[in-house]
This record gives sequence, structure tokens and C-alpha cells, in this order.
Amino acid sequence: MLDDAIESKTANEAASVTGAENVDPAAPVHGVPPQKVHSGHTTAYDFRAIAIAITGWILPGFGHALLRMWGRAVTVFLAVGFLVYLGAGMRGNLFAPGGEDAFARLGYAADLGTGSFYFIARRLETSGADVSHADGDYGTRFLATAGVLNLLAALHAYEAARRRKA
Amino acid sequence: MIAMVPLHLSHFQSLLLFAVIISLAFGTLGRRDPLERLKYAAWSFAMFVLVAVALGWLMYSVSR
Repeated sequence: MLDDAIESKTANEAASVTGAENVDPAAPVHGVPPQKVHSGHTTAYDFRAIAIAITGWILPGFGHALLRMWGRAVTVFLAVGFLVYLGAGMRGNLFAPGGEDAFARLGYAADLGTGSFYFIARRLETSGADVSHADGDYGTRFLATAGVLNLLAALHAYEAARRRKA
Repeated sequence: MIAMVPLHLSHFQSLLLFAVIISLAFGTLGRRDPLERLKYAAWSFAMFVLVAVALGWLMYSVSR
């Protein structure tokens, strides 16, 4: 949203120099493709987008907060937080590093997707996992879904920072 | 430290909670307009619940 405005402003500034009106932002400026015009900013945008994605992964919703997408930031934070809380409350299996098989390692990767919430969940789940009941099994899925959802949100923040999505 | 209250939910309650949370997140991330977000979240929620119930009945018929 904000980045779209920056893109349009840059194209319109170029148009005002040449005296052209109603210039398409995606159209070449002075015969140079748009990516050439912004080539000096590309590395900075890439670095910024990666930093936003990493911060969004570490603290769910923070990537969107940096982009001033407040609604999305709050929603991601609450959704991941609720899923982790419910998963831990249902005594789901929170996978530890160094799993014996591929499923345990995959589960650890999914759980780690929640970023800092993974360590909070470990502190919350003091009585350990109990997957002998359906509750614990569902809790395991809630925890894994929280991680995958946060990774999806971090990817969305990255794409938004790269101005590919708003 | 926050005291963890053990949660005991039924299968259907778990399904509803899961569907509500994920649908809201999908709606907010997938759409920009508030009305579109609400529509998409409602559609996702309905699909989550309907497909889960349909699959449950399908597996029930096979399990007997």
C-alpha cells in the first residue's frame, strides 16, 4: 500500500519532468525498463525485505507492523499466539531438536516456525505432552499450524516489502 | 509465569476453534478490503467445517 504509492510517485515525477500526462507506472521511463530506474534501490529493498521477514518470523506480526500494516500485524500475532496457547493447553507434542526420524525433524521445523513463541510454549507446557488422548493429538496439530501460519505471514511480509503484494 | 489451564475440548469444538482462527488469518492476509476479508474468512470457515464433516462421515462409512 505505502510502497505502491512510492512506486506511482516515482513514475509520476519522471512524467512531470518530460511533460507527459497519465503515464502508466509500469511503463518504461525514458525508454529504460522500470527495474533499471530503481536498480540503485534494489539491493536496499532486498535487504529490508529479508530483515522484515526475519523479524516477522521471530516475533509473529512484527514484520507487518514494520510495514505499518497494523490490522495484519495484530491478526497474525493473535492467531499464532492463540494457536500456541491452545496447543500447549491441550498438551500437544512440542518437538525438540535432534529428532530420531524425519517426522520428528519436520515437526520441529514446523514448531520452530512460531519463532520466539516456541520457547514460550516450552515454558508453558510444564507437564509435558500427552498424545494418548485426542486433545494432545489436536494440540500437536495446533502447534504445527501456528508455526506454518507464522512462516506464511513472514513470507507475505517479505512479498509486501518487495512491493509484489499489498 | 502464566499458569497453564488444561484444555479439554471435543472433536467438534477443536475443529471450530481451528477453523475460526485460521479463517480470520487467511481473510486478513489474503484480502485488503474489509468486506472482502470478511467474505473470504466466512467462505474459508464454511469450507473448513463442511469438508471436515463430510470427510468424517466418509471415513465413518468406510470404517464399519
